[in-house]
Amino acid sequence: MILSAAITPIVVMRAAFSHSLPVLLAQTQVSLPQAADYMRILPELVLSIFGMLIMVVDPLLDPETSHQSLGTIALIGTLVALASTFWMAQYPGTAFWNMVRVEDFSVFFHFLVIAIAAVAILSSFEYLRVQRIRAGEYYGLILFGTVGMGLMSSAIELVLIFIALEISSISTYVLAGFRRRDAASSEASLKYFLLGSFATAFFLYGVALMFGATGSTNLDEISRVLRSGNVPVLAYVATALMFVGLGFKVASVPFHVWTPDVYEGSPAPVVGLMSTGPKAAAFAVLLRVLFQANAPGTFWLIWVSAVLSMTLGNLGAMVQNNVKRLLAYSSIAHAGYLLVAFAAQPELGTSAAMFYTAAYAAMNVGAFAVVSHFANAGEKYVTLDDYAGLGRKSPVLAATFTFFLMSFIGIPITGGFFAKFYVLNAALASKSNLVGLAVILVLNSGVAAYYYLRIIVMMYMREPKGEVPVTRVPVMTAIAITVCVLATLYLGVYPGRVLRYATASARGLVGDTGAVTVSPPSYARAE
Amino acid sequence: MTPNPYLWLVPLLPLAGAAINGFFGRRSSKKAVTTVALVFCGAAFAMALFLAAGFSSESAPYSCDLAHWIRSDKFQVDFSFYLDQLSLVMLLVVTGVGFLIHIYSVGYMWDDESFYRFMAYLNLFMFFMLTLVLAKNYLVMFIGWEGVGLASYLLIGFWFTKDSAASAGKKAFIVNRIGDFGFLIALFLMIKHFGSLDFTRVFAAAQRMPAGAASVGTLTAIGLLLMVGAAGKSAQIPLYVWLPDAMEGPTPVSALIHAATMVTAGVYMVSRSSAIFDRAPLALTVVAVIGTLTALFAATIGIAQTDIKKVLAYSTVSQLGYMFMACGVGAFSAGIFHLMTHAFFKGLLFLAAGSVIHGIGGEQDMRKMGGLRNYMPWTFWTMTIATFTIAGFPPFAAYFSKDEILWKAYSSPNGSWFYWLIGVITAFITSFYMFRLWFLTFFGDYRGDPAVHDVKHESADAHATHDKHAHDDHGHGAPHESPWVMLGPLVILAILSVVGGWVGIGGRFEHFLAPVFQSGAATELAPGTGGEAGAAGTETLLMLISVCAALFGLFFAWLLYLRRPQLPARIATSLGGLYRAVANKYYIDELYAALFVKPLIEGSTTILWHGVDQGVIDASVNESAHAARELSDAARHMQSGNLRSYAGWIAAGGAVVIAYMVWMGVR
Amino acid sequence: MESLSPIILTLVTFIPAAGGVLILLIPRRDRDIKLWAFSVSLLTFLASLHLPVHLRRETGVFKFEIDKVWITAPNIHYHMGIDGISVWLVVLTTFLTPLCVLISWTSIHERVKEFFILLLILETALIGVFTSLDLFLFYFFWEATLIPMALLIGMYGHGRKVYAAVKYFLFTVIGSMFMLAAILWLYAKVGSFDFTVIRNAIHNGAVPGFESASLWLFLGFFIAFAVKVPIFPLHTWLPDAHVEAPTAGSVLLAGVLLKMGTYGLLRFNVGLFPDQAHRNAPWIMVLALIGIIYGALVSLVQPNMKKLIAYSSVSHLGFVVLGIFSFTAAGLNGAVFVMLAHGVATGGLFMLAGILYERRHTYEISEFGGLATPMPKYAAFFLVIVLASVGLPLLNGFIGEFLVLSGAFQDRPIYGILAATGVIWSACYLLWMYQRVFFGKVTHDVNNTLPDLTRREKAALWPVAVAALVMGVAPLIWLSSIDPAVQVALAPPIRQLLTKVVGQ
Repeated sequence: MILSAAITPIVVMRAAFSHSLPVLLAQTQVSLPQAADYMRILPELVLSIFGMLIMVVDPLLDPETSHQSLGTIALIGTLVALASTFWMAQYPGTAFWNMVRVEDFSVFFHFLVIAIAAVAILSSFEYLRVQRIRAGEYYGLILFGTVGMGLMSSAIELVLIFIALEISSISTYVLAGFRRRDAASSEASLKYFLLGSFATAFFLYGVALMFGATGSTNLDEISRVLRSGNVPVLAYVATALMFVGLGFKVASVPFHVWTPDVYEGSPAPVVGLMSTGPKAAAFAVLLRVLFQANAPGTFWLIWVSAVLSMTLGNLGAMVQNNVKRLLAYSSIAHAGYLLVAFAAQPELGTSAAMFYTAAYAAMNVGAFAVVSHFANAGEKYVTLDDYAGLGRKSPVLAATFTFFLMSFIGIPITGGFFAKFYVLNAALASKSNLVGLAVILVLNSGVAAYYYLRIIVMMYMREPKGEVPVTRVPVMTAIAITVCVLATLYLGVYPGRVLRYATASARGLVGDTGAVTVSPPSYARAE
Repeated sequence: MTPNPYLWLVPLLPLAGAAINGFFGRRSSKKAVTTVALVFCGAAFAMALFLAAGFSSESAPYSCDLAHWIRSDKFQVDFSFYLDQLSLVMLLVVTGVGFLIHIYSVGYMWDDESFYRFMAYLNLFMFFMLTLVLAKNYLVMFIGWEGVGLASYLLIGFWFTKDSAASAGKKAFIVNRIGDFGFLIALFLMIKHFGSLDFTRVFAAAQRMPAGAASVGTLTAIGLLLMVGAAGKSAQIPLYVWLPDAMEGPTPVSALIHAATMVTAGVYMVSRSSAIFDRAPLALTVVAVIGTLTALFAATIGIAQTDIKKVLAYSTVSQLGYMFMACGVGAFSAGIFHLMTHAFFKGLLFLAAGSVIHGIGGEQDMRKMGGLRNYMPWTFWTMTIATFTIAGFPPFAAYFSKDEILWKAYSSPNGSWFYWLIGVITAFITSFYMFRLWFLTFFGDYRGDPAVHDVKHESADAHATHDKHAHDDHGHGAPHESPWVMLGPLVILAILSVVGGWVGIGGRFEHFLAPVFQSGAATELAPGTGGEAGAAGTETLLMLISVCAALFGLFFAWLLYLRRPQLPARIATSLGGLYRAVANKYYIDELYAALFVKPLIEGSTTILWHGVDQGVIDASVNESAHAARELSDAARHMQSGNLRSYAGWIAAGGAVVIAYMVWMGVR
Repeated sequence: MESLSPIILTLVTFIPAAGGVLILLIPRRDRDIKLWAFSVSLLTFLASLHLPVHLRRETGVFKFEIDKVWITAPNIHYHMGIDGISVWLVVLTTFLTPLCVLISWTSIHERVKEFFILLLILETALIGVFTSLDLFLFYFFWEATLIPMALLIGMYGHGRKVYAAVKYFLFTVIGSMFMLAAILWLYAKVGSFDFTVIRNAIHNGAVPGFESASLWLFLGFFIAFAVKVPIFPLHTWLPDAHVEAPTAGSVLLAGVLLKMGTYGLLRFNVGLFPDQAHRNAPWIMVLALIGIIYGALVSLVQPNMKKLIAYSSVSHLGFVVLGIFSFTAAGLNGAVFVMLAHGVATGGLFMLAGILYERRHTYEISEFGGLATPMPKYAAFFLVIVLASVGLPLLNGFIGEFLVLSGAFQDRPIYGILAATGVIWSACYLLWMYQRVFFGKVTHDVNNTLPDLTRREKAALWPVAVAALVMGVAPLIWLSSIDPAVQVALAPPIRQLLTKVVGQ
C-alpha cells in the first residue's frame, strides 16, 4: 500500500547510499518489519485504508447524495485513526529500520493533524453540498494528505520526511483547486503546485547536501556527527536549503508569497485544513531538523524570518477586505509568532511551539468553519461588508466568530493567549536573551488587534445588509465549530495538561540525541 | 478651656430650618415657611443671647468637640466649635442682624413665587456664617468660608432668569474662589509647619517659633496668603470687583451678606489670626496698605454712582478698607469694633434703601427719586440716622469706631500719619457721597413718574413689589411707606446705630477683646490706660479734624445737590475724562476681562483644545494609523498575483538565506 | 458570617456575570430582563457591603483572601483579596451598576438583552480587577473589561460611535501589551504571578537582572495604566469615548474604569517598584499637573456637556496621580478618596447629562438655557453634584482634593500650589456650564415643555446625592480603612525615604 510504496524505495536508496554491502545484507535479512513496526504506523495505515475505501465505493454511489455517505466514511476513518493513535502510543520506539519513531512528540502531532482532518471533514459536509462538489476524491485526498502529515511528524529519516511532505503537499495542491467552477480556485491550485514543487526541490536538495555533509540521512546520525565538533560548510548550506523548503510550507516571510492568493482561491474548509495541518507537520519537521538534528547557525535566520513574518503579515492584513485573505495574512503573522519559539532555548521553545500549533489549529479551523458556512454557495459572501450586522442576524455565529478572533488577538482564557504566552515566556526565559524579539512580538499583537477588531466592529456595530442571507447552521458544521470552541476554551482555561505533555515530548526530542522517551503519553494516563 | 456641649446647636438650628424649607417649602404655605425660617433663626439668636449671658471672661474660651472629621496618618481635623470674646461679638452681630433681616425679608419677599427658596437660602447662609465664626480650627472655618460663598452665589443669582443676576452670582463665587486658593495654600503651610489647623495649637506653635528670618518668612507667607483669602471674601483690592455686581441680589441679601456679615468674614479671619500677623510685620503692613487704598479708592467711585445700592456697595468696600487698615496697624479690636457698628448702620442703610426701592416700585436710580421724605417718614428718619452715623458724627456709633481706627492708625507703632491722612480724606468723601445720596433721595421733589414703574416692574426688586401693588389700594407707583414688618427692623437697627458705639467709650470694648489679642496687646496702648496727656491731646485734635471732614462733606453735598443742583453736571463736564473714569469704576472690570478672562477662553480654545489636543496629539495618533495603512498597502503590493514574481521572491529569499548560511559556515 | 469570608469575594465578583449568563435564558421580554439585571446588580451591591462591614475583623494585609491553584504551568493561582483601598473601589463599582441599570431603563430600546448582559459581565470584570492578587488574573480581568465596554460604546453609542469604540480599544490594548510584557518578564524570572510573592522577591533582591530591567518594567506597567487614567498626553480617547458612549457606559467609564488605572499605579507601580516610582515621580507629577490645569482649561471651552465632563475627569484624575506620587500619607489617602469621590460625582454628572439627552437628544450646551424653570428638581440635583465636583466642603469632592493638595504641598510646595489652582478652574468651568444650561430665560421653546425628573430617575439620583453628602461629612468611614492600607503601601522601603509625612 502507500506505506510500503513509500518505504521500499527508501530501503533501496539507503542500500545504494550505504557503503558496505554486508550492512545492507544485515539490514535486509536480519530485521524484517515485525508487528510492532506496523503498530507504530497504525494511524497512517487506518487512514490509507479508509482513503482507498472511499475511492472504491465512490463510483457505486449516486453522485447527488454520495457526499453524505462518503463524508461519514471519511469521518469514521479519522475517528478510528484518532483512536489508533492512542494505541500507537503504547508502542514507543523506532520502526522500519529506524526510519519512523513513535514518541510523545510524534504522537502529539499525529493526534493534532488527524483531529484537524476530522474537523475539516465535519465542516466540509455542508460545504460540498452547497458548492455541489464531487466528494469522492475530496475526502480521499484529505485522508491521504493526513497520512503524509502524520508521517512527517514521526519520520526521523530525511528522505522519508521528504516523501511524506510530498504526499501531504500533493493532496493539498489538488484540494486547493476543488472549486472547479471558479477560476480563482484553479489558479490557486496551479500557483500552489508550481511554487510548492519549487520549494520542495530546495528541501530535497538540502537533504542530499546534508547526506553529503554527514554521510547520513538519519536525524540521530546527523545530530551525532554535527555534535562531534567541526561542522562542514556543506551542513550550513544544507540547513539553509531545508529551511527554505520548510519556510515555504509554514508560510514564513519571504516564502509566504503564495499564501494570500491560495487561501483566497481554495475552498474554505480546505484552507482551514491546509493552514493548520500541513503547517503543524512542517513545524514538526522544522523542530526535528533544528533541535533533534540540531542544525547549525539558524538563530539569526529564525530571528529575522520571525520578525519579518509577524510584521509583514500584520501589515498586510490591515487593509484586506476579503476575510479569507485577511486570515491568510494573519496566518503568516502567527507563523512569525511561532518562529519566535524556535529562536528560544530548545526545550522551552519546542513545547511552546507545539502548544502554539495546537491552539492555532483549534481557532483557525474553527474560524474557517464559520467563514465557509457563511460564505454560502460559490463563496459569494467573504468580504468584510458582508459581515455587517451579523451580530444582529445570527448572534450565536457572530459570538463564536468573535471568540475565535479574540483568541487570534490573544485575549486571556482563549488558547491564543496561552500560545502567545508560552512563546513569550520561552523567549524571555532562554539564555540567548530575546527581549527584543519579545517586545516586537508584543507590539505586533497590539497592531494585529486592529484588523481582527475590524471584523468584530463590522459584525456588531454596522447595520446589516439585506441581501446577505444567513442560513441556519447544519448539525455537522455546528459540531465542528463547537469542537473548535471547546478546544480553544480548554487550551485557554486549562492549558496545563497539554503543555505538560508538550514539555515531556520536547524533553524527548532534544534530550540526548533523541533517546526514546519510554514514558507512555500522559493523556493516555489521563484518559 | 471650658467645654460647652451646646455650641454646635447654634449653627445647626438654621441648617435644620433650611433643610425643612428646602424639602417641604414648595408644598407648604408661606406662613408655614415664614414660621420655620424665623423660628430656627430666632432660636439661634436666642442661643447666642443665652451664651452671652452665661459668658464670663474667666472661663472663656469655651469649646465643643462634636466629632472627628478627617484623619490621615497623624494629621487630624475635628468638627469642633470655639467661643471666645471675639467669636461672641461676631455671634451676636450675625444672629442679631441676621434675625432682623430675616424678619424684614418676610415683608420684602412675601410676593415672590419662590419665597420658600429665599428663606431656605437665608437659613442656609446663617448656618455657614455661624460655622465660620464658631469654628475652632481653620478647616471648619473654611467650611463656613466656602459655604457663605455658596449661599451668596445662590442668593445673588436668586432671580436666575436675569442673566445679569446669574453672572453676578458666578462672578462672586469665582472671585471668592481665587481668594480661597490663597487661604488653602496658607492652610497647607500651617499643616507643613505646625502639623495642625487647630487655632490654639497653630497660634501656640506660631508663638513658639524661633526668632529669625526663617520663621518670620513662613509666618509672613502665611499672613499674606490669609490676606489673599480675606481680600476675596471682604472685597478688597484687587478682588473687590464682585461686590458691586452682587447688588443684583434682592436687597435683604445685600444687607445681610454683602454689608453686615459675610463680607466682614475677612476682617474676622485676619483678627482671629492676629497671633500670626503680630509676628509678621510685613504682612501687617500689606494688610494696612491694602485696606487704606481700598478705603480711598472705593470711596471715590462711590461719588459718581447713581444706583442707590451701588453707592452703598462701594461705601461698604471702603468701610471694610477701614477695618483692614485697623487690623493692619495691629488694632484688631478697633477693626472688630468698626465691624460691629458697620453691621448696624450699613445693614440699616441697605434695608432703608430697600424700603425706598420697594416704596417706589423697584426704582434704584437716585436721579429718579427725590422728595421721598414726605412719602415715607419712617424710612427717611432711620436713613437719616444711618447717614449721620456713617459720616461719623458724634454721638453716633461710627463716630467712636472710626475715630478709634484713625487714632490707632496714627498712634500705634505700626501706624503712620499717612494712613491717618488717607483715612480722614476718605471720611470726608464718605460723608460727601452719603449726604449726596441722602439729599438726592429724600429732598427736593419727586423726580420719578408712574410711567417708569410699569416698565421697571420687570426689574429685579420689582418682582417682589409688583404683585404687592396689585392688591394695594393706593395707586400704582405712587411712593408709599413700607409695611411694619419691614420698618420694625429699621427702627431697631437705627437705635443700635446710635447706641452701638457707646460700648467703646473708654476702651471697654477693647478691654473685653484684649484676651483674644493678648499676643498683640504689646503693640496696643489703650487710650486712658497707657496714653499720657500729650497723646490724649493729639487724640482730641485728630478727632476734631475728622468731625470737620464729615461736616465739610455734608456742606458740599448740600451745596451741590440741594442748593445748586445744576452744578454737578457742570463739574462733571469740566472734569471730563477723570469723571468718566470714576463713573465707570476706573474700567477695572473691563481691564480684568481683557487681561484674564478673554485670553483664558481664547487661549484654551485655540491653543489648547484645537491646537494641542486635536492638532498635535490626536493628529499624531491618526497620522500613525494612516502611516500603518500606507505600509500595509506596500506590504500588499508584494502580492502582484504574478507567479513569476512570487517565484522570484522565494528564489531571492532562498539566495539570501543560503548566502548568510555559507558565510556562517566559512566564518 | 465567618464561613462567608473565604468565598465572599468570589461571590461578589461572579454574581453579576452569572446573572448576565442567566439573562440568556430569559425570553426577549425587555421588562423582565431589566428587572432581572437590576435585582442582580442590587444583590451584588448588598453582598459587597459585607466587605467593608467585616473588614476590620479580617487579619493580614489582604482581607478575605482566597488562594487556589488554577493552572500549574504556568504557575497561575486563583488568588483574590482586598485591602482598605480596593474594598471601596469594589463597593463603588457595585454601587454604580444598579444605578446604571436604572438610568438605562428607557434609553435602551433595542438589543436590550445584549446590553444588560454586557453591563453585568463588565461589572464582574471591573470587580475582578480590584480583587485579584495574581498578576495573571489581574491581567485577565483587565483585558476582560475592554471588550464589553468597547461593545457598549460601539453598539449603543451615538454619532461616531465606531470611531470612538475602536480608538478606545486600540489605545487600551496597545497600552496593556506593555504591561503584559512586563508581567511575563517578572514571571520568567520569579516563576510566579502572585503579587505578594513577586513583591517580596523584588524587595529581597531575589530577582536576577532586576536592577537593569526595573525601569522598563516600571514603564511597562505605567504606560498601560497611564492610558487608562488617562494621563496627559494619552487622554484623547476619553472625550470621544464619553461623548459617543451610552449613559451607563459613560457612568462606568468615568466612575470605575479610569480608577483601574490609578489603582494599578498605586498597587503595582508603587507596590512593586517603589524605587523606580520615586525616581520617576518628578516627571510623572509634572504630567499630573499638566493634566489638572490643561484638562480644566480645555473643559472650560467645551461646547458639549459630556465632553466638558470628560475633560474635567482628566483634571480630577490628575489630582489622584499627583497624590499617589507625592508619597505622603495625606497624598495617598487623598488620592484614594478622590478616586471614590470622583466616581460618585462624575458618575452622577453623566447620569444627569444622560437624563437630559433622553429628553432632547443632544449634549450641546447651547441647545439649553433656563432649564431651572421647567425642571427645578433636576436643576437642584445637578447643582448638588456640581458643587460636589467643585469641591465644596461637606461634599465629597473637597476631602480628597484637600488631602491630595496638602500631601503634594508637603512633598513639593510649588506642585501643591500649581495644583491648587485647579480649585479655581473647576469652579469656572462647572459653574459657567451650570449657568448656561439652567439660568437665564428659556431660549429654546422645546425646553419649556421638558418634563422634570421621573420617579425612576430620582431613585437613581438620590443615592448619588446622599453618597456625595455622607462622604463629605463623615469621610472617616472611608479614611479609617484607607489609611492603614496606605501606610502599608508606604511601608518599607519607602518609609525611610519619607521624612515629611503630614503631621511629623
